Amino acid sequence: MKISALRFFNVKRFAGRGIAIEGISEGVNVLCAVNEFGKSTSFEALHALFFQPHSSTAADVRSLRPYSGGNPLVEADIATEAGRFRITKQFFGGRSARVVDLANERIVAQADEAENFIAGLVRDGTAGPAGLLWVRQGITGIEKRSRSEEDSEKQVRASLLESVQGEVEAVTGGRRMAEIMAATEEALGRLVTSTGRPKAGERFAAAVDELNRLDADERRLDSEVMALRGALDKRASSAKRLAEIDRAEDRDERRKEIEAAQAAFDAAKSQAEALRAAEAELRLAREQRDSADRDLKSFRDALQKAEVLRGRLAEAERLSAQALARRDAAATAAAKAFADSEAAETEEQEARALLARLDAALKAREAAERLAELQQRLEAAEVARKELEEGQASLALLRLPEGAVAELEALDVDIAKLRAVAEAGRPSVAIAYEPQAPAVRLDGTPLKDGEPRGYDGHAQLSIPGIGIVTLRSNRSAGNDDRLRQAEERRRIQLASMGVEDLAAARKREVEAQRKESDLRELKARLSLLAPDGLPKLREEAAARREAAGDVLELKEDPAQVRKAHEQTEARRQAARQATREAEPIQAGAADAVVAAQIALAKLEAERTQMEAVLGPENTRTERERQLADRLAGLDTRLAEQQAAVEGFRGEAADLASAEATVRRVKSVAEAAEKEIGRLREEIAGLTAEIRARSEDAVEEKWRETVDALTAAKARAAAYEKEVAVLQRLRTALETARSHAREIYLLPVMTELRPLLGLLFEDVSITFDEKTLLPHKIMRNGQEEEVERLSGGMREQLSVLTRLAFARLLAKDGRPAPVILDDALVYSDDDRIEKMFDALHRQAREQQIIVFSCRQRAFQRLGGNVLQLAEWVPG
Amino acid sequence: MTFRFIHSTDLHLGKRFGQFSGDLPGRLREARHAVIGKLAEHARQNEATTVLLAGDTFDSETPAPEVRRQALAEMRYHAPVRWIILPGNHDSLQAAQLWSTLRTEAPENVTLAVEAQPVDLAPGVQLLPAPCTTRRPGRDLTEWMDGAATPEGSVRLGLAHGAVQSFSEDGHGLDVIAPDRARRAGLSYLALGDWHGGVEIDPRTRYSGTPEPDRFKHDRPGEALLVSLEGPSALPQVTALPTGSFAWRTLALELLDGEDAVARMEAMLPEARLRRQSLVKVIAGGRARLEGRTALAAAIEHVRPDFAFLHFDDEGLATECEAEDLDAVDRAGALREAADELLAEAHDAGRSAQEREIARLALARLYAYAQAVGQ
Repeated sequence: MKISALRFFNVKRFAGRGIAIEGISEGVNVLCAVNEFGKSTSFEALHALFFQPHSSTAADVRSLRPYSGGNPLVEADIATEAGRFRITKQFFGGRSARVVDLANERIVAQADEAENFIAGLVRDGTAGPAGLLWVRQGITGIEKRSRSEEDSEKQVRASLLESVQGEVEAVTGGRRMAEIMAATEEALGRLVTSTGRPKAGERFAAAVDELNRLDADERRLDSEVMALRGALDKRASSAKRLAEIDRAEDRDERRKEIEAAQAAFDAAKSQAEALRAAEAELRLAREQRDSADRDLKSFRDALQKAEVLRGRLAEAERLSAQALARRDAAATAAAKAFADSEAAETEEQEARALLARLDAALKAREAAERLAELQQRLEAAEVARKELEEGQASLALLRLPEGAVAELEALDVDIAKLRAVAEAGRPSVAIAYEPQAPAVRLDGTPLKDGEPRGYDGHAQLSIPGIGIVTLRSNRSAGNDDRLRQAEERRRIQLASMGVEDLAAARKREVEAQRKESDLRELKARLSLLAPDGLPKLREEAAARREAAGDVLELKEDPAQVRKAHEQTEARRQAARQATREAEPIQAGAADAVVAAQIALAKLEAERTQMEAVLGPENTRTERERQLADRLAGLDTRLAEQQAAVEGFRGEAADLASAEATVRRVKSVAEAAEKEIGRLREEIAGLTAEIRARSEDAVEEKWRETVDALTAAKARAAAYEKEVAVLQRLRTALETARSHAREIYLLPVMTELRPLLGLLFEDVSITFDEKTLLPHKIMRNGQEEEVERLSGGMREQLSVLTRLAFARLLAKDGRPAPVILDDALVYSDDDRIEKMFDALHRQAREQQIIVFSCRQRAFQRLGGNVLQLAEWVPG
Repeated sequence: MTFRFIHSTDLHLGKRFGQFSGDLPGRLREARHAVIGKLAEHARQNEATTVLLAGDTFDSETPAPEVRRQALAEMRYHAPVRWIILPGNHDSLQAAQLWSTLRTEAPENVTLAVEAQPVDLAPGVQLLPAPCTTRRPGRDLTEWMDGAATPEGSVRLGLAHGAVQSFSEDGHGLDVIAPDRARRAGLSYLALGDWHGGVEIDPRTRYSGTPEPDRFKHDRPGEALLVSLEGPSALPQVTALPTGSFAWRTLALELLDGEDAVARMEAMLPEARLRRQSLVKVIAGGRARLEGRTALAAAIEHVRPDFAFLHFDDEGLATECEAEDLDAVDRAGALREAADELLAEAHDAGRSAQEREIARLALARLYAYAQAVGQ
């Protein structure tokens, strides 16, 4: 909200006059005028317009009236987000309140509605600070005051402090909140513990204890009352029952019933005895008659049976004879079959013997043939072996020792070598003959032309024609030892081998090899003839020879003999079959004979028995008649006895039911007596119990406890409710306080801090945590009590606090004008200038209206200078 | 020939009143005993020969011996007044111990109407009692009266205990007495008990009500009936006689916004001297401002010591809360916010009645504390 004009008429000094302040703009507005010029009146008129109901006659309103009387009229033009409005109020005579929309001159609200409209502007949600922020010479402007107090400097100082605190309190509840909270806590603390349980030793806990005690008592008494009522009910029903069954006439009745039943029972018993005797006689008669009947029947049966037996006997005899005949025939047939079988058996044996002999002969011939072949082989083998042995003997002569030939060879080479060496060292002679020259001889041997010839020691050359030339070498012959030794070894070698020279040795070696080859061949032939060796072959031959024995002469043809044997075998089988067939027939026939004989014997026995029963033939008719007569007599007697028993039976009463009646009647009486006894005991017990409880007046106590319990419940509930109420109140208070702290105080402090910095250096204010009141100021690191601040500083603080609130409201979208009426009385000029800076800084977002009489000082404030003008209400 | 008798019922001798504290239970109990003397005094003054007690003479089936003995002694003292005691549902015949003891102890001028057969009350006057056989008989015990033979021309009086239609103190309606029993059985008068407030069912059928009230239910003074019969067919002349020494009153205080609640309340209360014998329930309803409520509660506390018992119930009283009431808490700020929250909750239809009630009371408490703390 912003205020754009203020007009008033008939206010205070201005009786019958009107004053208008038009053109109040945004930012800082200054109405600077000397005292009593209307400045304070304007302020008061503005305040009354916003804070006094038009119907009010309170002191504040009365003070608006001119001394001469009259009806003050105040109006203001305002601008809000909703539009521009004119608010008009007239007090006392013709009191009215009106809101007009300036856009269309229409009345928006009147009277109480207009008041509501204004309240909405000013309070706009009662949780926050007023929508108009007033500072007036240390007074918040909405408190009662007296002029004398207002003039007192001390009071002013105190008020200044309160104005800061008051504004904070307005937001946080302040000290009153703390006191109310304390009162709530104290009331709650008297009832419950911090966890909400009834506090021991206090009224609530006592009420709950009482409730619990009464509840327990009530339950106990209730069960006692229930027991008592149960006992009463039970005794009533027992007494009723006792009265029912214990009447004298009923007893008499029961006794009579027993007597009657007993008499009936006795009578029935004697009748039953007579009946039993008659029945015994009847049974005897029936037995006799039945026995006679049986005798007659068996006699007649025997007669019949004898007749039948006679026929059956004849038949049996015939069958027996037949069986005998059949048995004899079967015996004959069997004997014949046996004889046939015997003959076939013999025949077959003979044939089989012949066949066996024939087989033996065949085998012997075969063995003889085999023996001859073996003999041949043995002989050949023997020859081969002999040759082998001879060969081996000659081979032994021929065979040279292993490596002897090679050794001999080496020796020959050695000797040749040695000879060559000897030859080379020896003096030699060669002649080159002249043509036709005679042959010269050396040591007798002619020398050929050009042939060098050696010699040892000395030699003689015989040259024909010339003579003998002797040649001497003069060289020892020692060098020939090795050669001689070698030649000696060869000679020994040759001698041991039995050969003349190497060639002969070689020839023998070849011979020996050929011989060996011959022997291998011979050996192979021998092993072919006697694969398992000669001795084995010899053994075999010897065994054969022994087995061969005599060779039988074979006269018959083996095939014929075998065929004959098969025929006899077939015959033998057939004969045996015939014997086997004959045997069961013979046995069956024998059995039949035995059976026939037994049947016959049985029938004979039966006939003998019948004869015994029937007696001699001639007495039989007579005996049958006697038996029939006896039966007829006994039948008559039985019928008579039967009738007698029927008679008794008809008369006899039902003994069982008579006895049952007696038992029942007696048990009824006994049960009644027993019940009477039991009921009396029970009633006595119940009476004792009831009397005991009655004297305790348990039911009265129970009713008393029920009533007391109801009251105690109500009391406990009332305490519970009281606790709930106090808890609810505490919650509401805590919520509101913390809400206020969060929503306003901290933000206000945030807003306040830069403003303080602007005005003071090194100053910070601390707020009490609980009451949220400003409580200390830190200046240059020193703590100072708020009370000790100078008046100037306090008023500056007061203004700054409002500015901070205003900023906050503006940020909140609810701009509020800050109205200052000589708020800076105590501030020196230097401070005032700093305040002006703060105001201007603030006024960028804010409407600030300053009323002041310090014209000179406020000239430097700048801003929109307001003028008072005469005004006549339209 | 005129036959006069006193019709009373439901003395509930021995009732202990455990819901009260202090000496009040004793005084109430004593008052019940004192009723015997008052009934006898009325009988003497009105030349009545007989007092009919229509059941529940004793509060329980097993009254304490002193209750029984002292009652009988008092009755004997008032001879020749004749007392007829009928078993009711509280002291039914099921309480065999009680009745057998009474039989042996009863003085000559006390008759126990324990059987459903005519009793010779006076020449030409026959009493047809319908004693309660059990606590809940489950049938109409007066049925036998229709066929009961009495000498020709005699006056037939019925005496019964139980509910007619829904007039039952115990609230179960199984054993309802036919409302037209007097007509059906040719009774000159049917004296009924059980209902503690006096009620006329028809000119010949009445509940006398208890002579000494024992609960708030009926809101009637304690009375007994004096009945005069001129003859078998004449209508009975019935006069109510005051007998109660304690008054049980329920006062409904319906308030309108802006009314002076304290003045209204004061006007309803009985005069000061009677308050000692008064048990009063003040049930406040309607609407009141916070201030009025607070004042009313304080006024109740102020007058409480005048009374034997005073109960104040303001649950039905709605709180009117105006801005200025809340201003009394605070004009703005956190306290006001708390008050606004409680007020909103007290009127929040979305909350349970109990929660609203708690919020309302919390607001009233806040108001009271704020008053105490001062501005």
